[in-house]
Amino acid sequence: MTEVATYYEDVAAAPAPAPAARRRRRGAGFWVYLGVATSLAVVFVLPIIWAILRSFQPARLSSLAPQSADFTQMTFSNYRAVSHGQYDILPNLLNSVIVGLGTALLTTVVATLAGYGLAKFRFRGSGIVFGIILLALMIPFQAVLTPLYLELSDLHLTNNLLGLILVYSTFNLPFGVFVMRNTFQQVPQELVESARVDGAGFMFTLVRVMRPLIVPGLATCAMYAFLYAWTELLQAVTFVQSPEKLTLPAKLYEVTTSTYGSINNAYLSAGVVIAMVPCVILYFALQRYYVQGMMSGAVKG
Amino acid sequence: MGTVADKPRLTLRTRRGGPTRKTRGAQSKRASRTGALLVSPAVVLVVAFVLFPLGYAVYISLTNWPLLGPYHFVGLANYKELIHDSGFKHSVVFTLTYTAIVTPPIFIVGYGLAALLRANRFGAKLFRTIFFLPFVVGLSTVSFIFEIELQPNSGGVDFILSKLGIVSDAHTWTVHETSALIAISVIVVWFASGLTMLILTGGMQGIPAELYEAADVDGASWWAKEWRITLPMLRRSIALALIISVIGSFLAFNQFYILAQNNVGLETVVEWIYQTAFTRFQVGYATAMALCLVVVIALVTMFQFVLLRDDTEL
Repeated sequence: MTEVATYYEDVAAAPAPAPAARRRRRGAGFWVYLGVATSLAVVFVLPIIWAILRSFQPARLSSLAPQSADFTQMTFSNYRAVSHGQYDILPNLLNSVIVGLGTALLTTVVATLAGYGLAKFRFRGSGIVFGIILLALMIPFQAVLTPLYLELSDLHLTNNLLGLILVYSTFNLPFGVFVMRNTFQQVPQELVESARVDGAGFMFTLVRVMRPLIVPGLATCAMYAFLYAWTELLQAVTFVQSPEKLTLPAKLYEVTTSTYGSINNAYLSAGVVIAMVPCVILYFALQRYYVQGMMSGAVKG
Repeated sequence: MGTVADKPRLTLRTRRGGPTRKTRGAQSKRASRTGALLVSPAVVLVVAFVLFPLGYAVYISLTNWPLLGPYHFVGLANYKELIHDSGFKHSVVFTLTYTAIVTPPIFIVGYGLAALLRANRFGAKLFRTIFFLPFVVGLSTVSFIFEIELQPNSGGVDFILSKLGIVSDAHTWTVHETSALIAISVIVVWFASGLTMLILTGGMQGIPAELYEAADVDGASWWAKEWRITLPMLRRSIALALIISVIGSFLAFNQFYILAQNNVGLETVVEWIYQTAFTRFQVGYATAMALCLVVVIALVTMFQFVLLRDDTEL
């Protein structure tokens, strides 16, 4: 599975040719390429830059046509407005952080254990376990929304961040288990055997011996789970109704539907940027794992 | 996604990677117990929140379950009603239309981006990063951005389009059915083509350069190379990209829920199920719809497995 990912990484990370060689190849074709790619890059990045600039626009201007003079009046007032008082989104931000980190932690721990078990132990029923996880991959959460709601409601897990964490983690598990199983399969069996011969228990082997080798898998798994929980909307609005328990996207949705008047835009624009920041930071910081995860989740498995 | 392709290799590897025959016996028994113990939390979660709800759904769909209050068994009445429900049928037709509209452009743009950066020329890595950025931000956040920018007068979309001379006056994009669908489709293409690009890039990097060199020797044109080498070699990646995109469109919710809030007629299947259950309180009926969706998605996924099976490993 990772041959492709590694290959892609290698090629993408390959150092640029030496300047002399590069200059020789820079014909008209190169400039056409650069022009096309740059224009496309502008199209792809413009709405995001625009959204960031928008969040610094004074509320009273946000319902008027944009003009260049807007740049002279940039302000933090929208961020101040959403951090206290009537339109406070900080509690929702905290909810999202809790749910995001909780989902990342639970998914990673459970997927690591299962990946370890599937890759390094033979046991009766492992085929069934594999089948169950495969099945979970085929069932989109959208399709079991109503029974899940009734179930969570019976368990007193609606309006409850723990309920969201449990459900988000479960629907991230199939991907996580595959990533971790593949990761463990790449750990040499001799390493495991020698640790066992030395009298190490399976948990010691996992935590002390294999840890350095499985860090990339852990990072991929945790990051995907976090981002899923951070941006999910349908379950967030279904399983949680009380305003103080809403996650950030659900709160922003509430802002779009409520009648805060023309200042809607101002609050929403600040909230959008706050929602974007962790995604973009994680992407740039862990880009290697991001692409690898995408490839392992996509190309082969 | 697409894990079946991996299954034979898993069995193989597990056998090879597991304890050798010599060490079987008491040790193997203990290892077996440890293995089962290790997978049990995952199994418990999946059974509790995927398999149980799925079984529960079958039961609920055979009742007239309201959100609150008593219910009774109604047999297949919900399914019979579905066939004649114009609202549900409309959401199905609408979702299929939307899928048909966005799938080709997502693929073509994604393919174009992957092909453009294939040679890994100057800046390719940076461009790839940028093209994938909308996907990273997430569809809910992207929809909120355009919730602001699609507004007439104040929104950035009208502003830029009028500067470019494409539209002359303010458009209430999200109010009219056609313009809302156009706007949402363009946004989704912008959002999702980076993912297709990434999947196809992975496939393209696996095509041996010698094939292209041989074609160059024969004097093949760019089109001939794409048509005769790239497309056939990318079969698996293309199938995967298309199916991920189709499933994503079948399950569309966020963009319509956020951007077409008051636009009756632009409800996707998932949105219709959500409304039937939680605003019209017909949980039993909504669950019957959801089970139909499960069947469709399962069929598409199985079709994916068939497409991705057989041929050689990349």
